[in-house]
Amino acid sequence: MSDKKILLEVKGLQKSFGDNLVLAGINTEISQGEVVAVIGPSGSGKSTFLRSLNLLEVPTGGQILFEGVDITDPKVDINRHRQKIGMVFQQFNLFPHKTVKENILLAPVTLKLLSEADANKRALELLERVGLPDKADTYPEMLSGGQKQRIAIARALAMNPDVMLFDEPTSALDPEMVGEVLEIMRELAKDGMTMVVVTHEMGFAREVATRVVFIDEGVIKEENPPEEFFGNPQDIRLKEFLSKVL
Amino acid sequence: MGFLQNLYDGFYLNFIKDDRYLWLVSGLKNTLLITIFAVILGTIIGFIVAIIRSTYEKSGSFKILNGVCTVYLTVIRGTPTMIQLLIMNFVILASFNMNPIIVGGLSFGINSGAYVAEIVRSGIMSIDPGQTEAGRSLGLNFTQTMQLIIIPQAFKNVLPALVNEFIVLIKETSIIGYIGMMDLTKGAMTIQSRTFDPTWPLLAAAVIYLVIVMILTFFMKKLERRLRVSER
Repeated sequence: MSDKKILLEVKGLQKSFGDNLVLAGINTEISQGEVVAVIGPSGSGKSTFLRSLNLLEVPTGGQILFEGVDITDPKVDINRHRQKIGMVFQQFNLFPHKTVKENILLAPVTLKLLSEADANKRALELLERVGLPDKADTYPEMLSGGQKQRIAIARALAMNPDVMLFDEPTSALDPEMVGEVLEIMRELAKDGMTMVVVTHEMGFAREVATRVVFIDEGVIKEENPPEEFFGNPQDIRLKEFLSKVL
Repeated sequence: MGFLQNLYDGFYLNFIKDDRYLWLVSGLKNTLLITIFAVILGTIIGFIVAIIRSTYEKSGSFKILNGVCTVYLTVIRGTPTMIQLLIMNFVILASFNMNPIIVGGLSFGINSGAYVAEIVRSGIMSIDPGQTEAGRSLGLNFTQTMQLIIIPQAFKNVLPALVNEFIVLIKETSIIGYIGMMDLTKGAMTIQSRTFDPTWPLLAAAVIYLVIVMILTFFMKKLERRLRVSER
């Protein structure tokens, strides 16, 4: 075992929707401090894989161990574990009826993790961190896509998660706003946050990720550090895929 | 001068003489009481049924409860309100000798709940599933997500339809005279039976219903505007 603690352990993960087998047995481990970029053609199951990690998709087979606990066990209180697994969505999913600050405060205050006053302070810190300190009392409707996604990241961070899941966080953004979101993610990675990122941004995968995972036809076809992954791909489908996207 | 004199005489005969306007006043009081009781009950039933039904549609849980709710909706929406009121009074509660306000409130509330349920359900279904996912991914449980994220947004979307349902409800309570309740309509009919003049009392009742509905609409518009602040 390496010096880093294993946060997530995925064993034989399967997911089918009716007769359609989307994940056909995924095995991998994610250690503390790792930044894992998950890439693959559309329909490959990469988003389903990511969404299984916090049980937004309930697996139909296999196990997911988060900090040693099998969260696929129905007896496990999944809400408690989700508090430690932050998630950022492609469509942001900010709460439109709440101000930016209320979006960030909602979960920590409702779950009594922070007092109203402490949460307030934390929200302002987080807004500072994502570069939007003046937006606290604005409603999400007023923000650009890039700003929305930065707020969504701040909202997830407010729970002090041990790992952050990003589901194509820049795919719904206008091109000129992709950079600002990736910049925040880059800083997060630098601060040591464990991240799993489903992405089409090959540049981000190459520069920031510590490991790149290629999912195709519901299984991991190849996973390697970025230099190896992009420099010397082995799998024939990966070679094909990279020749199309690079 | 004859026309004005006639107007005055009619007004005096129907409302002033023997304090007949009191029939309308006490009738109005009962109409409002029944309506308020029914709105509260209908809203509670409606939201519970809507949450059960929409959760079942989205995730498949609450299977048995959903079956119960479906039967409730089918029966209530498939039979006339009047028959429901009569059954409530002369069959279900026949041996309890209850205050007709309670009987009416129960009957109209259970009736209205079915319509509120379908309105609220459509509101819940109109909210992007991403909202639920965002709430749940933060560690909020089902109830917290519903209460803090889904219902407030759904409520805003369906507010006009809900107020419309309550407007229908107020007017529908006018059939409660059939179980011997002195409501606004029955009050007007009572005056008519004393004065043999249908015009004044019935027009007066119509105007009072109209004014209540207009007041309600006014407050709804105000509330709607306040709920829209997040869309400036």
